Amino acid sequence: MSSVIPVTPAPLTTEQAEAMLHHQIKKHHVAIILVHWFNAITWIFEVSTGAALISSRLFRVAPDSYIAMFTGLFGSRANLLQFHIALGLTWIIVFLPYGLFGYGTYLRAEMLKVTDRDDMRWLMIRTLRILGKSNEPLPPQGIYNAGQKAFSMVVWVMTPLVMVTGVIMAFRLFSPWLVGWAVVLHFFAVGMVIAGLVVHVYMGAVFPEEKPAFFSMITGTVNELFAYNHHFKWWREMKLAHQAWEQRRKPKDDAADASEPEKEPAEKPAADSPE
Amino acid sequence: MARYAMVTDLRKCVACKACTVACSAEWDVPAELARTHVRTTPLAGVFPNLKSGPCVSQCNHCDHPPCVEPCPTGATYQDADGIVRVDGDVCIGCGFCVDVCPYEARFINPRTKKVDKCDFCRPRIERGEEPACVATCTAHAKYFGDLEDRNGEVHRLVFHEGARRMETETIAVGPNVYYLGQPEQLDLVLASFPPRPPLLLTAGEAWKKLVRPLVIGVVGATLVGQAAAFFTQLHKGEGDFDE
Amino acid sequence: MKSEITRRRFLGTAATVGAGAVALPAAASQKIHPPGWRGTERVDKVPTTCEMCFWRCGIVASVANGKVVRVAGHPEHPQNQGRLCARGNAGTGLLYDPDRLKTPLLRTGKRGEGAFKAVSWDEALDYLAAKLIALRKEHGPESVGFFPHGSGARFFATLMKAYGTPNSVEPSFAQCRGPREVGYSLTFGQGLGSPEPVDLEEAQLVVLIGSHLGENVFTSQITAFATGLARGAKLIAVDPRFSTAASKADWWLPIRPGTDIALLLAWMNVLITEGLYDREYIGTYAMGFEQLAQHVRQFTPEWAAPITDIPAATIRETARAMGAAKPAVAVHPGRHVTWYGDDTQRARAMAILTALLGSWGRKGGLFLPTRIERGSFDLPEFPEPKRGRADGAGTRFPLAPEEMGVTNGLIDATISGDPYPIKAWIVYGQNVLESIPQRGRTLEAIGKLDLMVVVDVMPVEQVNYADLVLPEATYLERYDPPNIVESAKKPFIAVRSPVIEPLYDSKPGWWIARELAKRLDLLAYFPWETPEQHLETILAPTGTNGNELRNCGVVAFPGKPYLEDRPPAERSFDTASGKIELFSQELADLGADPLPRYTPPAEPPDGFLRLIYGRAPVHSFARSQNNEALHALMPENEVWLHTSAARAAGVADGERIVLENGDGARSNPVRARVTEGIRDDCAYLVHGFGQRSKAMRRAFGRGASDNGLMSRVSVDPLTGGTGMRVNFVRPVKA
Repeated sequence: MSSVIPVTPAPLTTEQAEAMLHHQIKKHHVAIILVHWFNAITWIFEVSTGAALISSRLFRVAPDSYIAMFTGLFGSRANLLQFHIALGLTWIIVFLPYGLFGYGTYLRAEMLKVTDRDDMRWLMIRTLRILGKSNEPLPPQGIYNAGQKAFSMVVWVMTPLVMVTGVIMAFRLFSPWLVGWAVVLHFFAVGMVIAGLVVHVYMGAVFPEEKPAFFSMITGTVNELFAYNHHFKWWREMKLAHQAWEQRRKPKDDAADASEPEKEPAEKPAADSPE
Repeated sequence: MARYAMVTDLRKCVACKACTVACSAEWDVPAELARTHVRTTPLAGVFPNLKSGPCVSQCNHCDHPPCVEPCPTGATYQDADGIVRVDGDVCIGCGFCVDVCPYEARFINPRTKKVDKCDFCRPRIERGEEPACVATCTAHAKYFGDLEDRNGEVHRLVFHEGARRMETETIAVGPNVYYLGQPEQLDLVLASFPPRPPLLLTAGEAWKKLVRPLVIGVVGATLVGQAAAFFTQLHKGEGDFDE
Repeated sequence: MKSEITRRRFLGTAATVGAGAVALPAAASQKIHPPGWRGTERVDKVPTTCEMCFWRCGIVASVANGKVVRVAGHPEHPQNQGRLCARGNAGTGLLYDPDRLKTPLLRTGKRGEGAFKAVSWDEALDYLAAKLIALRKEHGPESVGFFPHGSGARFFATLMKAYGTPNSVEPSFAQCRGPREVGYSLTFGQGLGSPEPVDLEEAQLVVLIGSHLGENVFTSQITAFATGLARGAKLIAVDPRFSTAASKADWWLPIRPGTDIALLLAWMNVLITEGLYDREYIGTYAMGFEQLAQHVRQFTPEWAAPITDIPAATIRETARAMGAAKPAVAVHPGRHVTWYGDDTQRARAMAILTALLGSWGRKGGLFLPTRIERGSFDLPEFPEPKRGRADGAGTRFPLAPEEMGVTNGLIDATISGDPYPIKAWIVYGQNVLESIPQRGRTLEAIGKLDLMVVVDVMPVEQVNYADLVLPEATYLERYDPPNIVESAKKPFIAVRSPVIEPLYDSKPGWWIARELAKRLDLLAYFPWETPEQHLETILAPTGTNGNELRNCGVVAFPGKPYLEDRPPAERSFDTASGKIELFSQELADLGADPLPRYTPPAEPPDGFLRLIYGRAPVHSFARSQNNEALHALMPENEVWLHTSAARAAGVADGERIVLENGDGARSNPVRARVTEGIRDDCAYLVHGFGQRSKAMRRAFGRGASDNGLMSRVSVDPLTGGTGMRVNFVRPVKA
């Protein structure tokens, strides 16, 4: 393997690709994985009960049959509401420590980086490709692609809104006027996240190109080839970091790394998965 | 099936407010609020040709209650016998129903932070008693009963004695609290305390007109987009893998 | 007329009814009140009698877990039939008022400061007994004045009589009903008592002259009033203010205040000259008609019109309406009648009018009481006071009865020391600073006392001037003598027994009186150990007993409300002539007008308005303003001013102003209610506001005190009644 790390993705030889395909790189810390699935399951229950709770014809999004079914399932609308509140508060209590304290550890700067040219082009090309309208190659992306970053931004903004409005409603805080607005904003925030989720779930669970990404949310790793092809800038960072580490270990040994298989760098900040 | 209604004879009523206090005492309503309101019309005329009279009002358990629809959770509902009720366990205290009532019959109880209003003393009538206001009225001015019971007093007063609803041309939701009195007296009461147009709070209007369509639109768009992608994917077979 | 107008003895009818009316409890009164449920709490229902005012309706209190959760009307009570007014429904507000008097208090600071220390009952009663014994020795028992009122007063009355003082004075006479009782007694041989037996439900015409029924709420009277109107009765409301009653009236006569006698005389004139009076009735039952006819000849509607400011045609029309509706004309005798100092004469005029219409003892008019025999106690002779009464009852005020006395007379005596010094006051259930006008004099009198004792439930202003304060339990926590009402179409006996044990360290009046009696060696006058025994003795001849009465709450008897219910031989009147005395020889003998005469009251000076006052349906006098529920409905009063009077004074509707009277007394700032609904020569306030006791945290300082503006009174020479509508006020900037 050449010691020169390419700046842009270059075609690989079959041997290179084969080697990378069988080499797993750690992408997600176990905490991220647990939180991701905790959120997913919680949201499934909360969105389904929440939709059933809005029975007013002026505001509802679910049909009568759905609402009736859920009401029956829980025995009464009071039970349905209590469940929704209880699970919602549980979600907040479990997630909040992670959200407030854990986030710093697992947060990657890329998450909040303002999108650059690569990201904008990626969004456009990704959309056209998925609709079969383009064959242009996708621009290189970091640990999270632009789509993932866009979704994370939505979540970043809407999640606190969902939580705060939820708490206001659950405890009927301050004034009824505030509670009234909390209901509307709760609905809005959840709605925006659901829109994002539609894409997120499709891309993660249905779209074949991203299959390794789905499994990474279970195993925590992706194969190096996937990283090279889909998250080149991240692959490159890791390579450079490994190289630097190697050089620190053996400063005078230039040819030492010629035939050594790639090692995973000892320390790598695992990136968080966007929710 | 019964259809409950109340009739108040304003010729007899002296606005003594026994009903207000009895109702509040019966249902632990905080002192500064009330489920039953007693008012007196502003004085009409010039001394000594004056007119004035009392008006007692509470939830009217309307035929077409405007308060049911805006309740997001369905905590407000109407029984088959006409009584409009609030299930406190389902009420989230958003207050949409309060401003929507043309008769200002609802309020948020500051202790529970949930909506409170007259329910025709449902627990009492189930025990065979009269609503507390009717039972205590010092002037025997209130009547309560089943409109459909042809032998009943309320039926007679409404259908044979001309007890009137407080409705206007624009706001006619079918209130089931009727009033007896001289026609000019009832006109004065209606003119002094007309039902107000149902008002949905800004939050509710925003939800109905803006946020809900927006959310449905955005989520719908993503669903449509993803469906298109999915069909493209199927059409193409499983391509676009890494080589 | 004999002076025992409060003893309800009826010749003939008494014997018949008394013997026969034994034990016929109405079937309804057998009903026992089963417990109910409130959610999962068991609720016991205990019947008793209300005392939020003095109508004493029957109530049922619901008790759950030792707490009274609800007070509602007693469905089987013949008086209120399950109905109950706003104050009655707010009874728990008094019971659980955090400002209630909780322990006996002994004054530590100066009188008026309100500085006390809490003491035990033993200490308090020992102190009081020692003082009373010392006073009796040094100044004689007559030096102790006693101001009782309310159901529990009877225990103290016995005690005070046994102690040896004749100076017992109730405000319900000289500040309220006194002249009415005397006026009607002079005419019919008996007073009206309470509740007034006005047959409103059967009336074809109701005449309210000086009654604002509807704002003055007595549950059963409202029922009767509303029923009568619903049955088609016409209504004449004579009132300088557009009251609730006036709003329902067929005729509203906005009379110039103080001229009622002129109107009444003119009505009599029309009834007599047009032959509309009940000839047969007058012929059968009355004497003095000729003198009356002669007397009223000059008092034509034309004469009365400029005086009363009511058109002559209206006076005639209303008189004719009365004539057409007789005898079913209910001329409401009023209740609080001490207005201008000629109030006995006005009551006489109303009684005479009633007689002319033939409505006394007739359906739709005023009905008659039915005697209920009750048990009495074998008491030793009461000591004969060495000196006569100091309040002037029976002497200075010849027609004031000794049973009720003249409060202001005793105040006069306390200030002057004439006929002898009054050294102590014991006040029970009375609010001397709020209910008696000229509070400056009351305070002056208190300043002369060696001892001031107040027995009360709430820390009203007078408590601050007491040397000793004894906290009585509320009506929901105590026994009182049973409420025996004879002036009812179905006379009854109702129980007042405790619903729960007294809160804090409060005690029932019977206990306080008895404990005092023990220490004064007067237990012989309390020949019963427990209030249950007391009750049994009273009930002994009635056919019911304590257990039944406690269980049912009330026992009713058949009544004989009309003259026609009694044989002709028994239809006589307890007057000197045995007839209705249209002409009063008794008055003539006293040097007073035997037939009522109109004397004009003083007119308000320029810029001033006559202060008139009344009631609100959610308050009782000055006693309910601290009640949470009632306070929320009416936290303060307003002063009613006519639009033109307000304009002249530069006052806007809703503006806070101060009322200043002719002697410089100023009220609290009070909201002005500028309205067309009052004459332009009056200002109206609801009584009982502007409370001065800081310990009544809700009521303190809210609204304006009418009593505080009453620095003048016009005293009725016959009864001592303090006419209070003789004060003039003007609105000034706050």
